[in-house]
Amino acid sequence: MAHITYVEANGQSTTIDLADGWSLMQGATTSGIEGIIGECGGSCACATCHCYVDDFLAGVLPPPSQGELDMLENVVAERRPNSRLACQIRASAALDGGVITLPECQE
Amino acid sequence: MGLGSFHFDPYSPAIDADPFPAYKRLRDEFPCFWSEEAQMWILSRYADIVTAGQDWQTYSSASGNLMTELPGRAGATLGSSDPPKHDRLRGLIQHAFMKRNLLALEEPIRTVARDVFAQLRGVGEFDFKDVSSQFTVKVLMAALGLPMGEDALVPEHEVRENAVLMVQSDARTRAKGPEHIAAYNWMQDYASKVIAMRRAEPQNDLISHFALAEIDGDRLDEREVLLTTTTLIMAGVESLGGFMMMMAYNLATFDEARRAVVANPSLLPDAIEESLRFNTSAQRFRRRLMKDVTLHGQTMKEGDFVCLAYGSGNRDERQYPNPDAYDITRKPRGHLGFGGGVHACLGTAIARLAVKIAFEEFHQVVPDYRRVADQLPWMPSSTFRSPLVLQLRVQ
Repeated sequence: MAHITYVEANGQSTTIDLADGWSLMQGATTSGIEGIIGECGGSCACATCHCYVDDFLAGVLPPPSQGELDMLENVVAERRPNSRLACQIRASAALDGGVITLPECQE
Repeated sequence: MGLGSFHFDPYSPAIDADPFPAYKRLRDEFPCFWSEEAQMWILSRYADIVTAGQDWQTYSSASGNLMTELPGRAGATLGSSDPPKHDRLRGLIQHAFMKRNLLALEEPIRTVARDVFAQLRGVGEFDFKDVSSQFTVKVLMAALGLPMGEDALVPEHEVRENAVLMVQSDARTRAKGPEHIAAYNWMQDYASKVIAMRRAEPQNDLISHFALAEIDGDRLDEREVLLTTTTLIMAGVESLGGFMMMMAYNLATFDEARRAVVANPSLLPDAIEESLRFNTSAQRFRRRLMKDVTLHGQTMKEGDFVCLAYGSGNRDERQYPNPDAYDITRKPRGHLGFGGGVHACLGTAIARLAVKIAFEEFHQVVPDYRRVADQLPWMPSSTFRSPLVLQLRVQ
């Protein structure tokens, strides 16, 4: 279980408890957080779950796979060094307290 | 066993016709249920299905993902392999199915839709399958680059008929019958001819790219090329066709929703998402456990097969309030109509695009219609659900 905070582009902040193994994309789409779409269902094929991770998460997350890096080239909003795809980040206790910020647009 | 008389038999015609009452009992009373008939565990709650779909190390697809698997298929296709093999196969194909790469198909799909649905002008009653199957096969052939027109290797209707037959199973034997295996063999034979044709003279199409692909200097093995191509044709024709039937079934059944989308076609994407939740054609897929898992007081053993009942997760009141209502204003994010996780459907973008265009054009010709029959003949399949015939009357 991990508490993850999602900060939407309008500043609205929501913290949810995410079961181990669930992706941060699934946490958002099942909790009514609008700033993540996840159109492809989590197979790293649409780049509509783009997020910016905080320094804490950047430090504990494994680096993105080649597939995630390829798909990050397709994000619509600005790509930054801390850009990740939320469908590729799986919740675990190690991520507890992490904060992700969502871009203005996903498609 | 203390389970009373409850059974869940995914091979029974009653489940083909209406699995939803049984799903509700599964969710409420038996959320981790051993089906004697299917010889596998059934997971029916939304959260359990999402968790299993994410955890491919525990819930493996490498022993096959169809509830009733086809011989020799497991391990060689996207849906029936695990990472990293899955990821290398998917990496070869995925770019062709991304939304932005489908824009070039939009006008051809619309032309197909106009031509196909124009046949309904002046018609008073018709089987929706007759038009939707023509549309589906042509769209899929265009998307994959299957030879069409003068180059066609076989009549289009044979592709459709065999794709539909190969996903079916026999309710009595709970296995594939000779006719289903014959259809599967027909499709493999067709795929192998297309692959040979494209290798001899490569085109700028998906199958040419796939058949010639190398990964890190290694060619895909022949079985991977053949069975993945076979599966793309099957999945495309059957799943898109099945979903078109379910969408028409919903709109013909729920008058308010139909009138809303006909009056305002920009509501179609919401109606499509709600149909994917409400009664997706892909009802159930399976996994195999790589270790013991204890869930809801039951211990499932390593090696056991597990059914992920997407169609039930989509009706789970723990996730979707009032789940048995077809409500096009719901916007059911996170639904399992395309599965989820690493194995989420590859064709989500083209399916959404094709169905939207199809119904826009269908409604131009037939703006109001209703079902003729209350009871429909349902496809005998342990994996997919759609009516075999959908007779509609123009109003």
